[in-house]
Amino acid sequence: MSKWQKWDENLGRIEKFLVAAMLSAMILLAFLQILLRNAFSTGVSWADPLVRYLVLWVGFIGASLAGKEGKHITIEVFSRWFDGRGRRYLKAISRLISALICGLMTFAGWTFVQNEAQMGNTTFLEIPVWIPQVIIPVSFALMTLRFGFSAFAALAMMDYPDNYSEHGKHS
Amino acid sequence: MILLAVLAAVFFMLIGVPVFVVICGLAVYLFFISGIDLSAIIIEMHRMATTPVLVAIPLFTFAGYLLSESGAPKRLIRLSNAVLGWLPGGLAVIALISCAVFTALTGATGLTIIALGGILLPAMTRGKYPEIFSLGLLTTSGTLGLLFPPSLPLIIYAIVAKVRIDHLFIAGIIPGILLVVLLSVFSISRAVQKNMPKTRFQISEVAGAVREGLWELPLPLVVLGGIYSGKFAVSEAAAITAVYVLIVEVIVYRDIGWKDLPEIMKKSMVLVGAVLIILGAAMGLTNYLIDAEIPIQMLEFFKRHIESRILFLIVLNLFLLAVGCTMGIFSALVVVVPLLSPIAQAYGIDPIHLGIIFLANLEIGASIPPLGINLFIASIRFERPVLRLYLASLPFIAILLAALVLITYIPWLSLVLLK
Repeated sequence: MSKWQKWDENLGRIEKFLVAAMLSAMILLAFLQILLRNAFSTGVSWADPLVRYLVLWVGFIGASLAGKEGKHITIEVFSRWFDGRGRRYLKAISRLISALICGLMTFAGWTFVQNEAQMGNTTFLEIPVWIPQVIIPVSFALMTLRFGFSAFAALAMMDYPDNYSEHGKHS
Repeated sequence: MILLAVLAAVFFMLIGVPVFVVICGLAVYLFFISGIDLSAIIIEMHRMATTPVLVAIPLFTFAGYLLSESGAPKRLIRLSNAVLGWLPGGLAVIALISCAVFTALTGATGLTIIALGGILLPAMTRGKYPEIFSLGLLTTSGTLGLLFPPSLPLIIYAIVAKVRIDHLFIAGIIPGILLVVLLSVFSISRAVQKNMPKTRFQISEVAGAVREGLWELPLPLVVLGGIYSGKFAVSEAAAITAVYVLIVEVIVYRDIGWKDLPEIMKKSMVLVGAVLIILGAAMGLTNYLIDAEIPIQMLEFFKRHIESRILFLIVLNLFLLAVGCTMGIFSALVVVVPLLSPIAQAYGIDPIHLGIIFLANLEIGASIPPLGINLFIASIRFERPVLRLYLASLPFIAILLAALVLITYIPWLSLVLLK
């Protein structure tokens, strides 16, 4: 196993832990708010924005994991007509394009976070708003790396989890 | 130039570039040539991802995955078998109902065929159903139930088209039942024709099955009760559903251990991430298209060539079936809905009814050859050639299309429960 794959696996474990912890927090907080509202006609003021940012984090970490596991929704048609080498090249090309575009999105996300940091707005509990938003460029950066490695793996005939047989897992 | 970019985008999709990447790429290109800062795409994405109602998506999806990994599908099949097994064609009706319920809960993501197909196909084979019939039924049922709350596509449609989710939830019920009933009638008539064997009705088995599934039976009430009575918002109903399912499956039935939860959470959130990022990417693109007045130009084109509402609906149906067959449900929703919903409104179509038309079309399109996703999932799951599934699905698709005509041209079916 190459260094990158080890790194990728460890990263995947961290992401899985974060997703599970944040989803649990989301369920608990959302449910707590309902109890408070109905039983005591009250609520915690920071809970609603926190839940919204948890959705943002869970969504973007989920998207990054989907890149790792090849579970992004695709419409690929051509690869069904190829096998062996042709399919591998096709995969390498599509992953390279993906890496390129995700790279641009990382840059866009980074600019966005910088702008927000300059404006200095805060959200719940006086936390600067750019802190929860930083997940956007981070997640795009991880997807860039993963797509890039996947393209490399396809060319070098190595195994990477996002194999093409996955087609149709979603949608 | 823009046409070239769109063609490149289509080509990228066909060679397997993920849909969200293609949409992002198109947005980046369009924003770049109009001299808008690229971070504007992220602003839209961020705004969409922090919409308050969005929390319903992870919560419902997690509850659905939890149910699918538990013994709930088996209990559901047992119960419907006890209640309906005596019917000629009972097993087929059971398959239809289980698939519909399962799809509503897991969000029409291909899980239905993968999870239930493996139980139902052998059962139908043992029940002496012709293989071609069983294959067709299970393939087309892969998205059946998409109109029932809390299915993910319903929520996505409501967010994209900016209509009320609770209204859409309620509007889908009768059209959803119509699809299941028409397919059931067809299955029963086939079974009567072929003199299929049936089981005896036993009240003790019904009682046993009810007792076994006692905790899961109130689920529709948990999901819909609060929304229908107006006591809870959709996101609150989602939180209650998640907590309820968690308690029932982990503590009451103990089908799922605490240590299995992180894996299930991850699996379900990978789907949520894959869907949300398409949704976010599409928001940026849509805003550009609206700023560029594309929907208005399209509307003028439509108005010039299509005068009557009926003709518009026919064109809409054909277009959406093609889109559902090629693009898949989620991609089609986020890309097509913002473009078409203003046009449909100009033809006097109720936005809620339009949502049901959209989803019914996409649901059926997913089974239509040559590219309907259900056909490929079934081909992998059942290890049969896709061509055989094309043939097997045809009679079922014909029935579904008949139902689609009713749903499209009788708005009453979608709107009556809202009045």
